[in-house]
Amino acid sequence: MIARLDAERPLFFGADQGLFGIYHPPVAPATQAVLLCPPLGQDHIRSHRLYRQLANALAAAGMPALRFDFHGSGDSAGDSTDIRWDRCLADTTAAAAELRQLSGCDRIALFGARLGGSVALAAAANVKPDRVIAWDPVLNGADYVARLDALQDSLRIDTRRFDQARTAEAAAGQWQGFTIDARLRQQLAELQLEPPSTQVRLIESALPVTTSADRQRLIANGATVTTLSSSTPWEELDRLEIAIISHELVQSASGLLREAT
Amino acid sequence: MTEQAFRFGRAGHLVGIAGLPSAASAQTGIIMLNAGLVHRIGPFRLHVAIARRLNACGYPTLRFDLSTLGDSAASDESLPRAQQVRADVAEAMDLLGKQAGCTRFVLIGLCSGAENAHLVACSDPRVAGAIFLDGFAYRTPGFLLRHYLPKLANPVRIWRFVHRRLRPSGRIAAPDFGVVVPPLAQVRAELADMLQRGLKLCFVYSGGTSEYFNHRRQFRECYGAVASHPGTTLEYFKAADHTYILEGDRRQLVDTIERWLLLNLPQVTAGGGACPTISTTHLT
Repeated sequence: MIARLDAERPLFFGADQGLFGIYHPPVAPATQAVLLCPPLGQDHIRSHRLYRQLANALAAAGMPALRFDFHGSGDSAGDSTDIRWDRCLADTTAAAAELRQLSGCDRIALFGARLGGSVALAAAANVKPDRVIAWDPVLNGADYVARLDALQDSLRIDTRRFDQARTAEAAAGQWQGFTIDARLRQQLAELQLEPPSTQVRLIESALPVTTSADRQRLIANGATVTTLSSSTPWEELDRLEIAIISHELVQSASGLLREAT
Repeated sequence: MTEQAFRFGRAGHLVGIAGLPSAASAQTGIIMLNAGLVHRIGPFRLHVAIARRLNACGYPTLRFDLSTLGDSAASDESLPRAQQVRADVAEAMDLLGKQAGCTRFVLIGLCSGAENAHLVACSDPRVAGAIFLDGFAYRTPGFLLRHYLPKLANPVRIWRFVHRRLRPSGRIAAPDFGVVVPPLAQVRAELADMLQRGLKLCFVYSGGTSEYFNHRRQFRECYGAVASHPGTTLEYFKAADHTYILEGDRRQLVDTIERWLLLNLPQVTAGGGACPTISTTHLT
């Protein structure tokens, strides 16, 4: 069966109606729903299309899905300087409650790419999903912060983007198009995820960006790994404004989510 | 100010977010068009920043996805792309008219968004103004001199140029926003017609257009009388890139858009007066 695309329902929800989401109803009554946690920053914009494709695939397979934007990102209220790690976790809890209400399903799964995967893993304790599927999640915040800093430094002197290299001051406090508050930066730098007590499936691109020690800790706690046949250009300056598209990911993630727990 | 999500259009296929200021009714509404394939929030959330700044000045806004872009679906009609864009934008104006009482509209678009703004401004009588971000421009003899002369005087640049020609790099090409550039004479005539009809036009070029625009003077070289018309405004942000990736550049652009609107198409609310929330902070 094919989900009707015009059935996708855009909405605002949350305590102050400040969170934006799009609900994808299933084609038939469902028993499990999927909450799609978005990445942050430019990863969010680049993977927008892919998230929509995944949500449509899930709805067509009979699993309702909710995509949403964290406070300070996308169409949700707030500025990018308002984004905080703990607020992202609270937003995920609110989105899970909204999805349970919209779908009538008590059982839900979480999916997330990059920082969206990290949020899904960290929010599991509160949301209590049946499973978490994380695609190339950020498991070690200090490494991630260092890589984005280096990318930002390369960006400002990229004379294919700018007529002339820009000063460090002009690019300070930002990561690839988004102003980052010092508190979020600190929260991410200190990020070290503990394995959740629910079932975890890692989807890794062919050249994983996850460091092995953190990955091993998850696997030692029962996480299983699915490896894609190709790499994903998450942190490449040349592809910063090119959409992340992966039919293999959509097929793989929707397949894993359809499996019985 | 409140933001509301809408599914609208002739096939219920379009998705957009309306920013509605507290005034019951306002004359001028702002419609923001997709930049390339980026969904309605705009590159680095530029459209959200513009919308909320303008909402604070009393302008209702709608950022939405054209058919097949972002969260919007296809309309299931076999219309040529131009006709589909016109129909989509007309329905966006209908929605903002219904929600906020707007009767005239300003279109804002970057790159392919500017191309679409131009397309609609040519034919829809409700369009009162347009802000073209990196819209059409044409290489002129002046452009070529400014572009190549410094290279000829610099042996290092000559070597780099030859090197690039002989050894194509494996770098990824800049994003292709799929802009189709019509002939200069056609665009010049269409712009002249818009001005004749009383539209206000703002052209903003960034340093990201350096392959086809490299000096303010080039605007006059391209467009002649259109450039000197009182309804025309030109801004050139040479330091900025095409999609305004740096916060300071983005803020400068949003300031410029706000200032231009307040000066050229001041808001009129239901009571007939100018919007009282005009801020002078950004007018200096």
